Amino acid sequence: MSGPGWLTGLLTAVMLTVAAYNATRLAAAPRWGRAAELDADGTHVVMGVVMAGMLTPALSFAPRPLWLTVFAAGGAWFGWQFLRTRSGQAAGRWRCPHPLPHLIECAAMVFMLALPATATAPAGMGTALTGAAAGFSPLTLLLAVFMIGYVMWLGNNLSAPAVATATGTTVIARTGFLAPRCAACCKIAMGVTMGYMLIMLL
Amino acid sequence: MSETLAVGRAVPDAPAAALTPSLDGRRKLQLALGGSWLLDGILQFQPSMFTKAFPAMLAGTAAGNPAFVASPIHWSATLITHHLVVLNAIFATIQVALGLGIAWRPTVRLALAASVLWSLAVWFLGEGLGGVLAGPASLTDGAPGAVILYALLAVLLWPADREPDRRPARFIAARAAGEKTALALWTVLWASMAFFALQPGYRTASGFSDEIRDMAAGQPGWLAWPVSHLASLLAGPGLLAASLLAAAFTVTAFSIWLPARAARPVIVLALVLAAFLWLAQGLGGVFTGGSTDPSSGPLLILLALAYWPAAQARPEAVPGAEGA
Repeated sequence: MSGPGWLTGLLTAVMLTVAAYNATRLAAAPRWGRAAELDADGTHVVMGVVMAGMLTPALSFAPRPLWLTVFAAGGAWFGWQFLRTRSGQAAGRWRCPHPLPHLIECAAMVFMLALPATATAPAGMGTALTGAAAGFSPLTLLLAVFMIGYVMWLGNNLSAPAVATATGTTVIARTGFLAPRCAACCKIAMGVTMGYMLIMLL
Repeated sequence: MSETLAVGRAVPDAPAAALTPSLDGRRKLQLALGGSWLLDGILQFQPSMFTKAFPAMLAGTAAGNPAFVASPIHWSATLITHHLVVLNAIFATIQVALGLGIAWRPTVRLALAASVLWSLAVWFLGEGLGGVLAGPASLTDGAPGAVILYALLAVLLWPADREPDRRPARFIAARAAGEKTALALWTVLWASMAFFALQPGYRTASGFSDEIRDMAAGQPGWLAWPVSHLASLLAGPGLLAASLLAAAFTVTAFSIWLPARAARPVIVLALVLAAFLWLAQGLGGVFTGGSTDPSSGPLLILLALAYWPAAQARPEAVPGAEGA
C-alpha cells in the first residue's frame, strides 16, 4: 500500500485489533450466553487479517486464491441470509439481521483480491490503474461510496435510543447483546479502512 | 443501535427492518453531507496529497486574486510545503472527523458548526474564494467554490426548526433558515452561476469547450470519452451554449419562488444542470488520483433535494431524532 508508511501501519494495527476483538466476541458470546452476530464477527476476523496483509504485505501469509474462496463463500452465505430476511424470516440470535452490508464487504474483498497483484502491491496502490483494472474504476468508486454510506448509517444508529422499536422492550434486548457499541465501532473502523483501500485503487 | 436490537433476547423474531430507527428527509440529507465529508477526508489521504503538488495546487488559486486574498494563500501554501505530511494528515483527519461527527447524533450540531468554519477557511485559503474575485471564475472548477456549498448545506440542514409551532415548512431547506432566507440563498447561488456562465472566457466559440476538454486529461477511458464528446459538441457554438446555460441557471434561480407545483420542474432542471456540470467537471477528477473532492456537482444535487417541495417536510417526532 502506498501513502505514508505510518498511515498504512496505523490502519494495519487497527485491522488487527478489529480481528482480535471479533475473535474474542466469537469465544465470549456463547460462553456468556449473550447474543451476537457470529457470522458477521467471524467474517470480520478473517477480513481484518486479510486487509492487514494487503496493507502490509509482510503480514500476508496465505495465497490469494484461498482468501478469494473464503470471501466468495462468505458472500454466498450473506446473500442467502439477505434473501431470507427479505422474505420476512427472522435472523435468530446468532446471525446478522442486516446481511447486505456484509455481502457487499465480501464482494469488495473478492474484487480487491481478484485484481492483478501489481494493482494492489505496495508500489501499485494509489497510482492510477492501467489496462483491465482501470476499467473497473466505476465499480471501485461504487463500492467505496457504499462503504461510506454504511459507515454513516452505522454512525447514525450508534446513538439511536433503544426505544424506537415496535416492541418497546429493546432496552432489555440491548442488555442481551454483547457490547453492541464496540461491535459497531469495529464495523465503522473496517468500513473506513475498506473505503480508503478502494479509493486508493481509483 | 438497530443492528443489535434484532438479535436481542427480548425480540428474537422481530423483523430487522422494523427495528431500524426511521430517518426523516433532513437527517438523510445530513448523512449524505457527512458522507461527502468522509469521502473528502479519504481523498485527502491519497498519496498525491502528501507531495508538493498539493501546496502547489493551493498556491495556484492565488493567481488573479487581489492581494488581501493572494497573500494569505501564498503564506498557507508555504506553511504546508514546510510541514506537508503533518498538516495534510491533520486536514484529512479533520474532514473524516466532520463526517463521523455528523453521523453521530450527539455531535451533529458541533460537527455542522465546525464544518461551516472549515469550509469558509478552505474556501478562502484553498480555493481562493472560488475564483470569484480573480476574474475568470470557472464553472468546471466548481465556481463559486465547491467547498462553500458544504457551508451552505450545513446551515440549511441545521437540526432546528425556525417556526416549530406553525405550519410545516414547504421544503427541508426552509426548516432551519426560514422559507424566505432559504429561497434567497438559492437565488443568489444559481444567479451567480448564471453570471459566471457569461464571463468573457465563455463568450467565445471554444471557451467552454476547451475547459471541458481539459477535464478529460488523466481520466480513465470510459469517462474521458463522454467528457471529450461533450467538449466537441460545444466546440463550435460556444457562445450559444454559454447563453443557454446562463438562461437555464437564471430560470432555476428565480423560478424557485413559484408555488410548489411549479417549483418541482425547477428542481428537476436544477438536478439536470448539476449532473451536466458534474460531467463537465470530469466527475471532479476523483479518478485521477489528485482530487481533493468530487467538486460541486454532487453538492448541487444534494442542495436541490433539500428544496424539493414536500407535502410534509416536518414529520412527527421520532424518538431519538432529537438534535437531528
